[in-house]
Order: sequence, then structure tokens, then C-alpha cells
Amino acid sequence: MPSIHPLRAVAAGILLAASAALWPALAQAPAPAPARGGTMNIIISPEPPTLMLGINQTTPAAIVGGKIYESLLRYDFDLKPMPGLAKSWSVSPDGLTYTFKLQEGVKWHDGTPFTADDVVFSAKTYLTAVHPRSRPIFQRAETITAPDPLTVVFKLKGPFAPFLMAWEPSTAPIVPRHIYEGTDFRTNPANAKPIGTGPFKLKEWVRGSHIHLVRNDDYWQKGKPYLDEIYYRVLPDASARTVAMETGQTHLSAFADIETFEVPRLKAMPHLEMTTKGYEYLAQIVWLDFNLRAKPLDDRRFRQAVYHAIDRNFLRDRVWFGLGKPATGPIHSSIPHYDANVPKYAFDPKKAEALLDEMGLKRGADGVRARITMDQLPYGDVYVRAGEYIRQALGRVGIQVTLRSADVATWGDRVRNWDYEMTLQVLSQLGHPALGVSRLYVSSNIRKGVLFSNVNGYSNPRIDALFDKAAVSADAGEAQKMYTEIQKILVEDVPVAWLLELEFPTFIDKRFRNVVTSAIGVRDGFADAYMQR
Amino acid sequence: MERLEFIAQRTLKGIVVLLGIVVLNFLLIRLAPGDPAAVMAGEAGASDELFLQQLRQQFGLDRPLLEQLWAYVANILSFDFGFSYRQQRPVVDLLAERLPPTLLLTGTAFVLSLAAGVTLGVMAARRAGRWSDSAITVVALFFYATPLFWVGLMGVLLFSVTLGWLPAFGMGSVGVKLGGVERVIDVGRHLVLPALTLTLFHMAVYARMTRASMLEVRDQDFVRTARAKGVGEGEILRRHVLRNAILPVVTIAGMKAGYLLGGSIVVETVFAWPGIGRLAYEAVLQRDYNVLLGVFLVTSALVIAVNLATDVIYSLVDPRIELGA
Amino acid sequence: MAALRDFWRRYRRNKGAVVGLVVLASILLVAAFGPVIYPGNPWDMAGAPFQSPFGAENPLGTDTLGRDVATGIVHGARVSLLIGFVATLAAVGVGICVGAVAGYFGGRVDDLIMRLTEFFQTIPSFVFAVVLVAIFTPGIGSIVTAIAVVSWPAVARLVRGEFLTLRTREFVQASVVLGRSARHIIFVEILPNAISPIIVSASLMVATAILVESSLSFLGLGDPNMMSWGYMIGASRSVVRLAWWTSFFPGLAIVLTVLALNLVGEGLSDALNPRLSREGR
Repeated sequence: MPSIHPLRAVAAGILLAASAALWPALAQAPAPAPARGGTMNIIISPEPPTLMLGINQTTPAAIVGGKIYESLLRYDFDLKPMPGLAKSWSVSPDGLTYTFKLQEGVKWHDGTPFTADDVVFSAKTYLTAVHPRSRPIFQRAETITAPDPLTVVFKLKGPFAPFLMAWEPSTAPIVPRHIYEGTDFRTNPANAKPIGTGPFKLKEWVRGSHIHLVRNDDYWQKGKPYLDEIYYRVLPDASARTVAMETGQTHLSAFADIETFEVPRLKAMPHLEMTTKGYEYLAQIVWLDFNLRAKPLDDRRFRQAVYHAIDRNFLRDRVWFGLGKPATGPIHSSIPHYDANVPKYAFDPKKAEALLDEMGLKRGADGVRARITMDQLPYGDVYVRAGEYIRQALGRVGIQVTLRSADVATWGDRVRNWDYEMTLQVLSQLGHPALGVSRLYVSSNIRKGVLFSNVNGYSNPRIDALFDKAAVSADAGEAQKMYTEIQKILVEDVPVAWLLELEFPTFIDKRFRNVVTSAIGVRDGFADAYMQR
Repeated sequence: MERLEFIAQRTLKGIVVLLGIVVLNFLLIRLAPGDPAAVMAGEAGASDELFLQQLRQQFGLDRPLLEQLWAYVANILSFDFGFSYRQQRPVVDLLAERLPPTLLLTGTAFVLSLAAGVTLGVMAARRAGRWSDSAITVVALFFYATPLFWVGLMGVLLFSVTLGWLPAFGMGSVGVKLGGVERVIDVGRHLVLPALTLTLFHMAVYARMTRASMLEVRDQDFVRTARAKGVGEGEILRRHVLRNAILPVVTIAGMKAGYLLGGSIVVETVFAWPGIGRLAYEAVLQRDYNVLLGVFLVTSALVIAVNLATDVIYSLVDPRIELGA
Repeated sequence: MAALRDFWRRYRRNKGAVVGLVVLASILLVAAFGPVIYPGNPWDMAGAPFQSPFGAENPLGTDTLGRDVATGIVHGARVSLLIGFVATLAAVGVGICVGAVAGYFGGRVDDLIMRLTEFFQTIPSFVFAVVLVAIFTPGIGSIVTAIAVVSWPAVARLVRGEFLTLRTREFVQASVVLGRSARHIIFVEILPNAISPIIVSASLMVATAILVESSLSFLGLGDPNMMSWGYMIGASRSVVRLAWWTSFFPGLAIVLTVLALNLVGEGLSDALNPRLSREGR
């Protein structure tokens, strides 16, 4: 397949010239009204194991399942809640009672009316049984009740600030009570034929090839969705995905679908538009994790030296090809309570060497001050390159790094059982520090055998107290003060070295509009997406 | 009767070997480090002990090893290859959908490499010592020394990127609906590069074997006798030399089926060909035990079946073969 | 001395083998002295990423991270050759022991060992190697072990065949009568007489081992601390459209080395087994 078909290039050129000529006129005219119709071909990789979001929360499942299942709220790019299945909501002044008013006229895909009982069942019974991430959230509820068919009331045992951040489809999908009540949730046959309230319904799933979704004609937002159908194309090979976007065979790619080094080329293509919006809820940070139980990693000066020895701009520019932002601390800048006013660690190998000298780690005859083993994060090429860069960067200040590679399972075993010295990690912050950040630093979450807990053994009573208090504070200003102090202390201590806030490129065929409209981006329902004629 | 006994004996042997492979791979993989439940839980976004326990129970990872092995063997006998907890699907389904592309790829490569290899080998042998013989030998030696993935990549570079003649990836065009004949042509175009990549290496092997075998047969007594009787060279080649020289090549080609399947891991990875080679690679990287075991079993079963078929055909074609050898 | 001269006379007759020897010698020289010519660390960023080849700074260009391809190839020669030789040595060692025992003792022992050998030969060898390396985590040790594990059966069969014939010879029978130990007869009496075909097949096995190592590295199953040729190609396969040189030159290095080893193997075969001559394979 040619990289760019000559005819296509000519056609694109003509189109470009034509649109340039039309530009002044277009700029004046109001945006054309969304029209109904159209088929969207979207890349999906890897193929999701299931579309039932209650039992699987991997990204591919969330992308496709997010069209079928909905939650009570949506979030704008600043993570402010917007109406979803809930029309409105209110919080009592003591921060203990949350009341949701539901949309009217909502039906499940099988025609059964959706009511408050479905929400109560989902939160109280279903999610606490199968969903590992939302279980601890909903277990904070004293009672969950439905005073009338369109009202749900949550009474919490104590205040919990991020409670309103939990209502997106992969954290709290609302499932039909009439299908799941009294069944084995994991083996219910409906898992293969998902019934949701979302704008699209599953028509057919040809494993290894495509997932075909069609318009839900009974959708509660009248006149929506605009698209007739969506095909998710399973394309396991990165080069094949790039070709599919180049040639217009597919209309949307997201996350790591397109390899970083191909991004500049695709960005320049006239028929594609790139955005890095729609990942605010996930907010992923890559960091270098130090096992604080190992010498000399237990010495703060050593960790600071390592932080100074790594050029985060180099990582961003050469490894991630410009996609990302050097991270300044434990909280992602798009997450509430982020504070940029913290100590900075500039790229400064001299300072790194000075810190190491101060520790008494002198260079030996071979120029080596210390030897560290680093486990490669088995998430693909980019992380391999990043590991190779870090090895060279640390080598220059006299820290000899040996890389150890493994499959995902072995890596996970080593890290969760604390059998490592240094490794890269990447994790999502889930919309709120109390949901996605504190779990990595509070000493109560030092749990051997559990991945993505406080694996490096950082323990600081002050941090524990601050995180605990901030999470239950009903006053946002007070919480901000505590989170600011947390960030200052952590950055000073460098329990891990935060490297980059990841940005993901979403490529959209320009014929499609209103595709990315919320903080969960391509995982949202696409009720507003339409095809320009 | 003797022949039937021979076939039965061979089949029995194949089954024993197959069982051995099941046990070997099962032990290897189960004894390896890594708790798959922890990783699955991690990817689900959180891993609390309750969830880990649920997963282990769900997939039988908490039972004693011997019990797991016994259950596995028993299941295999009823064509239940287990469940892939990574893909949330029965392994049999995965294998069934991935096997046809691999058979298409390796089958095409097998036929092509054998045809081209034997032709080149015969040509070289007939012109032994002349420049065309040397040319063929050099080409064969070159492809014999070339890594499959490199040939594949260079093929992509030349025929897909630079010339734009052939698609570089996958088994069909994406997002287009094609009818019967068009679809066949589409798959055919996608097949060219991976099949040729796999062909060239094996073609080299067969060309060299054919040439050597021809030269050996050419000097044997029965050929000399024929020649002394005044039988023409063309006739000698067709009736005596070819048949006796090619039989061993075909046999060895059958025995090399395993190499084709091994090569398909690399080739399917390069060309995003949706076969079991790629499945095996994905399974190894993800430590998807049951899938890996399934792929192993199927590949080994294929090799055993091809070996058996070769033995049987050989025994039918060549009456001189000593049965039961 | 005369034997050596005789050997060289026969070897020399195969022109391809002479060319192969020259190429192989040059590659060995590069592996030995290359780090002197290219003292840099092959992992260091030596320039801007994706520099085209034939420039003054980076004669063979640079890769994704700006690492010099020429330096990588020179340093990679050591890794690829080392793995090839060590793996072969291990396979030959095991193969000789197993084959010798089977061929010397015969009977039940032979039967059992040959069943086992056959079993290992039935398993698709590359698939097996991939599984072994993946399970025991990629590293130089696991790679060498995996290659040896899939290669020994061929040597064992060869050695067994030689031993079966040599055992019946008079000088062996004489030793048996003299009451020499089995170990003495196997290693001192028979083995030296069976060494020629072993050397020939070992030289070809080094070539195969290099190919297998490169394929493993290509699939991401190489040692992450060793820059081998296969690693270089695997690391740059996704950028082949952007920077052909990053996979072309390391591939060429593999082809040349494997080709040279094959040619030398044939030459050795001609020179050591005059009766089999060129048609032997």
C-alpha cells in the first residue's frame, strides 16, 4: 500500500485550495447544524475482552463500552460535572448527603424503562461485588435509597470530597437490575449481549475483526445520536493503524494507537486533525520508582541526584516525540488541587555529582559510584527507549544501571512483592488526588503483594495525616492548603521521580465533528458526534 | 496388512509424543514465575486481595499443580483447551480463528518453496560446474543466511513503501466491503509479501538439497546402467534421476514443517498476519498460559501429522522403503 | 604438519570457502579490535536522531535516540558471535555426551535416548526457544540455554551414528578386551576419530545460533543490556519507513557473518571428509 496515494494527494491538494478560498466565507457562517447519518470507522487495539464495564475496566473495553453504558454524570475538560443520566444533583452542607435527580424517559436497550432502582442496585449490590475500584467508594455509603423513581439519595458515613468524581461509565456503569439481580454477575449471558442506556447498541462482534454498533433510536436525548453506526476495527499492528489513518480507511485513533514517531507526519496530513484533549480524567504520569528499602535509594540525596541527572525535556522530545509535559510533582496539572509552586529539579548533572560526592559515593577506578538494577516496564517500545535513556543518563554521573526485562506478569510480581530497585511506572490519577494519588504515598497502603499500591515503602506520618484529612474535608479551600503542603513535602523528599505528564494524540478525520467533548474523550458516548456533509 | 500396521504404529507414536509435549509445556509454563491474577487485577485498576482471590478461583490457579495438569489433560481429550483469562474467551475459539490464516500462509510457502527449490536444484545439478550453477548456488546461499525478519522488512521497504505495489500489513483491506472474487484478490495481494518471505529461506534449503541429491543419484549404478544401455539423457533424468533424487527432498521437507511454523512467528509479527504465530507471540508476552499451551499443542500436532503423512506417502510411493524403520 | 598442509590444500580448492574464511576473519578482527576503532558506548546518544548514513559524523546514520549505528554494529559483533559460539559449544557438549552414550552402549540405553532425542526434534524448535527465553526472562544465559536446548539433538544423532560404526572397529574392540573403562574408550579412543563431522556441523550450528539469537532479539526477547544485531533491527523495525538504515546495516552484518560461517563449514566438510565432498549436505 502506498504511503500516500498520488490521486489522493492531488485530491487533497484541490480540497485544500478550495477550502482556503472558501475560508473567509466559512469563518463568517455559523457552524452547520449537525446532520443525521454517517458511519464512523474507529481503530481499537487491543481487542477488548468484553464490553461489560462492570467486570472489565481496561481501556479498550471502556472505549467501546462507553457507547453502550452510561453513568450519572459527565465531566467537562476542567473536570466539572455535567449532566449524564442524572439531570441535576445537590450536596448537603455537611458533605454527607448526595441527591441525584434522574433524566426522564430513559429506556434500556431492551425497551424496559430505566428507574432509580437500577441506580441503587448498581451502586449497592452490583458494583460493590465485582468492581474493584468502585467498591471502596460505594462502601462509604451508609444508605443508598430511591425515594421516588427519579431520585437517588446517597448518605455517606463521613464526608468524601471526590464522591462526585466517580460517575463516569468505566468507574460506575449503571447496569439493568431486571437482568442482573439474583444472577452470577460474572457469568450472566447478558455480558456478551450488553444492555445499556447509551446512544449506541451492539449489533455484531466478529472477534479479531470488528465490533459493529448501531444507533439507539430510543435514546433519551431526542434526535441524538447523529451517527447511524460505528465500526470498531481491530488492528493489532501499529504500522497498519498508521496506514489506515493515512488512507482514510479509519476515522479516529486514540491513546497509543499511533506510535509517537509517526505523530508529526500524521499531524501534517490535511484530512486529519489532532487533539490532546479528552484525557484530563485519566491524567497519566510516568515516574521513576525507587524501592526505598534498598541502599543507596533510601538516601534522599541520592534520589535528588538521580532526579537532577535526568533530562525530562530530552525524554519528552526524543522518546515521546514532543507528546507530554515534564511533571513537577505527584499531582497531574489537570487534576484538582495541583500546585505548580514546588521546588524544581532542573537537569543539572554537575549538581547530581555534587550530591553524590556529598554522600561519600566517590567514583571507583572504573568511574562507577553505585550499581542499580532497573526493571523495564513491559508496556512497549517507548518504555524500553525511556529505560535505555535513563541508563545512559545515570551512567554519566557514575550510577551504573543494569536493565532487567520481563513480561507483564513477571514485572508485576517483582514490583508488588518489592523485589526491585528501580523501575518506571505509569498510572492514571482518576480525576482526584484522593482517588488516584494518595494510594501511592500513604503508609496504610503499603501492602505486599498488591500492585499499584505504595510499593516503594514511603512512610511519612505528616503525609498520612494530610491525605486523610484532605479526603474528608468538605471545604475546598482548606483541602487545597493541605494538598499544597503534601506536594511541597513530597517533591522535597522525592519518594519517586516524576518524569512526564503523558499526552496522547487523538487523530480525527476532519469530516467528523464534536467527537471529543469531555474529559473522558473517546471513552464517552459520542451522542453529539456527527459527520459533515 | 504390514502397511496398516506400520501406519497404526506411527500414529500411536505420534500420540505418545503429543502427550509428552502436553506435559512438558504444562510443567514449564506453570512452574515459571509470575502470578497472572495480580496482573489482571492491576489492569482492572485496583488489586485488593478479595478480587485476586476471585480471579484465582475463577481460573483454577489456586489448586495443586498436579490437579491442574490432570484437569488439563482430561480437558484436552474432550477438546476443551481451557479459557484465556486475558482475552476472556475459550482457547479453542482463538485457535480456530487463528489457524486458517497460518495454514494459508505456511501452506502457500511450503508449495512455493518446494516447487521453486526443486526447480532451481535440478537446474543447478544439470549445469553442475557452469556459471548458472554457481549463480543458483550463490543465491541459495544468500537466502539461507538471511534472517526472515530482515527479508520481510526489506520487502516492505521496497515493494510497499518505495514502489507502492503491495500492501505491507494485515490480511485484508480495512473498512471496505468486498465481494467474493474481489475479496480473494485482496487477500492474495496481502499474502504475497509474507508468503515470499517465508518461501525464500526454505527455497534455498530445498534447492541445495535437490542439487546434492541429484548429483549423488546421477553417479549411482542403475543410472550408469541406463546410460550404458543408450537411454537418452532427458529420459534418464525424468525416469530415474528425478524420482529418486526428489523423494528424499520431499521427505525432509515434510520433516521441516516445524521450521515453517516457527518461522511464521517472526513473519506474522512483521506483517501483522492474524495467525497462530502471532497469537503465540502475543501469548508469550502476556503470559497467557492456556493460549500458549494451546498454540504449542496445535503446532506440535501439525508437525506430527505432517511427519506421519510424509511417512505414509513415502511408504506408498517408494516400495523399497523398509517398513517400521 | 603435513596433515595440516594437506588439509589446507583441500580446503583451498573450495573458492567459496576461502572467501568465507576471509570474511569471517575480518568480522572476528572487527569484533576483537572494533571497540578500539569505535571506543564510544553503543548506547550513548552520539548525535541527533535519524541522521542519514554516509555523513561525516555517523557513517551509517543514527537511530531513534541518536545512537550511532556503526558503533552498534561493531559492538554487536561481539555479542552475536559470543552467543553463537557459546551456545554451540554447549549444544555440542551435551550432544557428544548423549550421542556417545547412546552409540557406545547401544541396546535399551540407545533406544531410550533416541526416543528422547526424537521427541525434542519433533517440537517446533524456534517456538520452543521463544517459550524458554520468555519463561526464564530474557538474558544472555537464558538465550544461550534455549539455543543449546533446541540444537543438541542434531549433534547427538550425528555422534551416535559415528559411534555405532566406530565401536565395531578393531582398535576399539582391543581396548575393550584390555579392560579399559568406558569413559576412556569413549573420550580417548573413539571421540578423536569422530571429531571431523562434529567440527563441520558445529561451524554450521554457529551460523544457525546467530540467526536464532537475532530472531529472538527481534521479537524483543534479547538481553536488554547487550546490543546485538537482532536487537538493533527489532528496536528499529517500527521506524523502517522513516529510517531504512537502522535495520538495513545490522541485517547486512548478520547476512555476511552467517554466509561466511556456512561457506567455511562447507570448506571444512570438503577438507575433513574428502569422501563426502561437496554433495555431502
